[in-house]
Amino acid sequence: MTINNDLLIRLEKLSYLEVQDDKRSEIIEQLNEIVSFVENLSELNTDNVSDTFAMTTASTPLRDDTPACNSHIPEDIIKHAPKSADSFFIVPKIIE
Amino acid sequence: MITLKEALKLSAEELVALKEELAKKIEAHAKLNAYVGLESAGEGVPIAIKDNIQVKTWSVTNGSKILQGYIAPYNATVIEKMQAAGLTPFGRTNMDEFAMGSTTESSYYGKTVNPHNASCVPGGSSGGSAAAVAAGLAVAALGSDTGGSIRQPAAFCGIVGMKPTYGRVSRYGLGAYASSLDQIGPMTQNVEDAAILYDIISGYDANDSTSVHRNDKVSDKLDPSRKLTIAIVPNYIKDASEDVKRAFAKAVAVLRNAGHTIVERELMDAKYDISAYYVTATAEASTNLARYDGIRYGSRVEGSNLKETYIKSRSEGFGDEVKRRILLGNFVLSSGYYDAYYVKAQKVRHRIKEEYETIFKEVDLILSPVAPRTAYEFGSLADPLEMYLSDIYTISVNLAGLPAIALPIETSEAGMPVGLQLIAAPFDEQTLFDGALSLEQSLQS
Repeated sequence: MTINNDLLIRLEKLSYLEVQDDKRSEIIEQLNEIVSFVENLSELNTDNVSDTFAMTTASTPLRDDTPACNSHIPEDIIKHAPKSADSFFIVPKIIE
Repeated sequence: MITLKEALKLSAEELVALKEELAKKIEAHAKLNAYVGLESAGEGVPIAIKDNIQVKTWSVTNGSKILQGYIAPYNATVIEKMQAAGLTPFGRTNMDEFAMGSTTESSYYGKTVNPHNASCVPGGSSGGSAAAVAAGLAVAALGSDTGGSIRQPAAFCGIVGMKPTYGRVSRYGLGAYASSLDQIGPMTQNVEDAAILYDIISGYDANDSTSVHRNDKVSDKLDPSRKLTIAIVPNYIKDASEDVKRAFAKAVAVLRNAGHTIVERELMDAKYDISAYYVTATAEASTNLARYDGIRYGSRVEGSNLKETYIKSRSEGFGDEVKRRILLGNFVLSSGYYDAYYVKAQKVRHRIKEEYETIFKEVDLILSPVAPRTAYEFGSLADPLEMYLSDIYTISVNLAGLPAIALPIETSEAGMPVGLQLIAAPFDEQTLFDGALSLEQSLQS
């Protein structure tokens, strides 16, 4: 058992998610089942294999540093956001 | 249903009539639940769009509760390219939430039904697109394929579904699940239509940093008379159902008859593909889905402070499978586990890619099953690991970034479609479509 309730609490924190009480034991069991399956990767010898993977060997393309913006996109996003005013998202009070 | 090739010849009036006919048919087949919205976006040949591809002014929701209320502020590049070619988005199709699933059962909008059998899944995650084309409710559709999500539902519904080489089709405007694996692709009634739609949506795009500078097209050069060397992988087929084995034997015989050379090759046990895939995909998903916080788009569940608002919005907005993959992704990326899981999976990815490179030095195509069996009955893949294992034949293609096409071979004794896939070397879509067209024509003759 790699994943126990303590680790699940840590994963919930990292994920900004809350698993309901009645689902905790089920999800712990499922995650353990999946994690023990994927441990088969350790059977493969990967000595001297690069530890990063990208589909091409080319580096990330560069572009000219000229401003470009479709200003309607942020405007439309703000317009349809759950709560907004002018050009701001409204969130619960952060500073007491 | 009229094919895409034929529909491209229709006049503006005929296209209006076609859309009216489609709308009526979709309504009459509402029980299939292939569509989750019937929006239209202008003139042209109507193409059904998976609910994770941005169409400006449409509510594009990734089959999720958390995106209810979101309105797409721009068109995906594939939509711009379609519109420039005389095609128009018509209707949003159902999908597994955030494309995470193999059955379309995890959608916020409820399950989609397989047109061939109401007790079976259409496959997933592009199950709505596959069911729409198979039931004659769409001329053609767009889907997305991260681990088989175009090819598997195509096979389960008896249509053609194609996943392009990674980088061929822009991901700009595609709801991101696993960015190093995702590709948009065509889902059509036949191979030629798939080539036509692939040509329209592919090509370089500056808005996607992984887009490649290649603009070569295939549909005007299709040549089913080319004699190809096609590999089969015997250790892959042994675990498939009898239906799939029969279809496989039939396809091999038909391809031999058509003058192709069949050779045998080995690939490593596909259990490693599943592990490398689920570690990589969940890691990338946990990062990509961090943006859904209830603040900027979609729906919010108000908490007493900002942090509680994030947690409540995400906990109530995401379904179980999405939560499972986010938790798993954060596990494989977290301190203490990162090297053993995430880094190891990237190393294994190199090995998978190299294996294919070795095979493609000597062969043109690989013939493979798409799924271990025909469409599952509803509920039979409820166990997450069981569902992951069912992706055994499709995910290595995504891990290696290869192009592949699923096409229908025959109908099982139970009346369900059996599809197989052809896989090609990176950027060799021409050979992929030539081989697929040869197989399709040989099966019909």
